[in-house]
Amino acid sequence: MTRGKLVFKNLTRKKSRFLFTILGIAVGIASLVTLLSLGTGLEAEVKKQSQALGAELVVTPKGWCAYEQISVLTGESLPEAIPNEDVEKVAGITGITAVPYLVQRTAIKNQPVTVVGILPEPMKQFKNWQIDRGEYRLDRESVVVGSSIAQQFELKAGDKLTIRGTGFILRGILKEMGNRDDLVIYLDLATAQKLYGVGDKVSFIAVKVDDVTQMDRYSQEIQERANVAVVSDKQLIRSVLAIMGTVRNTLQMIAAVAVLAAAFGIINTMLTAIHERKREIGILQALGARRRTIFSLFLYESALYGLLGGVLGLAAGFALSFFAAPYIEQSEFTAFLGSAQSVKMFSPAVVGQAMLFAVVVACLAGIYPAWKASRLSPVEAISYE
Amino acid sequence: MSEMIIRTEKLTKIYENGYSTVALQDVDLEIPRGSLSCIMGPSGHGKSTLLHLIGGLDRPTSGKVFLEDLDLTAVDANHLAEVRCRRIGFVFQFFNLLPVLTVLENVEIALMLAGIPPRNQRERAEELLGLVGLEDKLQAKPNQLSGGQRQRVAIARSLANDPDILLMDEPSGNLGTKSERELLENIEKVNQRGKTVVIVTHSPSVAKISHRIIYIQDGRLKKEGE
Repeated sequence: MTRGKLVFKNLTRKKSRFLFTILGIAVGIASLVTLLSLGTGLEAEVKKQSQALGAELVVTPKGWCAYEQISVLTGESLPEAIPNEDVEKVAGITGITAVPYLVQRTAIKNQPVTVVGILPEPMKQFKNWQIDRGEYRLDRESVVVGSSIAQQFELKAGDKLTIRGTGFILRGILKEMGNRDDLVIYLDLATAQKLYGVGDKVSFIAVKVDDVTQMDRYSQEIQERANVAVVSDKQLIRSVLAIMGTVRNTLQMIAAVAVLAAAFGIINTMLTAIHERKREIGILQALGARRRTIFSLFLYESALYGLLGGVLGLAAGFALSFFAAPYIEQSEFTAFLGSAQSVKMFSPAVVGQAMLFAVVVACLAGIYPAWKASRLSPVEAISYE
Repeated sequence: MSEMIIRTEKLTKIYENGYSTVALQDVDLEIPRGSLSCIMGPSGHGKSTLLHLIGGLDRPTSGKVFLEDLDLTAVDANHLAEVRCRRIGFVFQFFNLLPVLTVLENVEIALMLAGIPPRNQRERAEELLGLVGLEDKLQAKPNQLSGGQRQRVAIARSLANDPDILLMDEPSGNLGTKSERELLENIEKVNQRGKTVVIVTHSPSVAKISHRIIYIQDGRLKKEGE
């Protein structure tokens, strides 16, 4: 006979109570694991999208907040605020390549899709795009699309597309880039400006510099020449991660509260068990069990609830995050989480954090019941009927 | 070594449950080593209370209990647990076996609490269960046994750590005539092995095998006779 065997036999004697207490912990841990898993891939995904942008500096209208900066990476629609005059001033600086973006939205078959107005040739060189099917042609009647859009809506070169009530011909489909470029319809910039009625304005300008050691100088020069703000790709990543981190932490706090609620379930279960097994505690005391032995036996029971609930919650959480990720509604906050690739399955950090949290919470929940059991008077306990 | 293994001095127990109930008053008692003593008296007059106090399961309101030279009223709860574990075996009227454990495990648990490693527990537990004739019931659960068999498991368990003293509270209270006879045989067998046995009982049959009878009435020692 070992303490472990005794604990396990006591734990499983009331099977339905055992199961429901475990499930309480498992549900909390599953939600925590889901959010942790989704969040783990966040940083890598943000960096990936920043790389896809291909710019060291991003020129934005003055006064943009961090939420709008996120949209540069997520492809959400952005207010048009930089006039063509400023675009030309920035593009005229020696040692940089500047490409303007006008980011808008449309719908295909009632599904929201990002539309980006671009200067066709500069952008092709800037991004090093390759054409997969059809030809790379953008003008008043022609558009190209990313590979995922073509796949999702079963589009092929030569198809007709209606954007904001105007008919276009899909001329070409870009080769898969593995980033958000695959999810966009590209229009000629002037056509897009006319279509969306934004005059000669663009949303932001992506800037590539010839000499990265001179980034500060370029940034200063851009701001001196035009009435704009400049943010570096690293600053962009930092501010995006800061906001995403706040959202992620809030969600994880909610999940943690679910686990804490389950902890009260453990306290309740353990107090009930102690009440029912009062006489057995007395028997153990009569046989010579010390207070700390009784305390440890009940604490182990609590810990085991945490451990088993944690394991079950981990499995459920990983499954949930894997299957749920592709269905998460796209928004500023979840855009980076919207693919199964962004979920780091079986991350040791997630497993460690979730298991530690489950066991620590279960142990804390077990302290009071275990203490109560250990303080029972032997004669009262053994005489209990 | 003292001739008296258990000694009490002016032992008094008063229960306070809103009002005071005197369970024992000024009890001076001596139990010789190796004796088979029987505590008798009407129900509710303090027999079990006396047994609990000399077994270290409860604390007196005043007075002292000595186990040889050790004052049980002066030691802390952990020391008292140690004494119960190694020097005293208990047998109760309602057997008090752990229902989730098998017969073998019910004996092994006493060994586990004494710190005996699992590999050594089994051999000792089987030996004790063999002594009470339950070698064929090792894997049975308590609810699969008769009252007499359960009481034999309780006796085997009480002997697990080779205690000096066996304290029995109405051990035949729930047994039929045949089981009681078997119990008495086992008690005599244990006593013959040098264990001091103290039994609280109403049964004349149990009293008949005792070396001495202690009478308690209204919480006081009435008479002590050989």
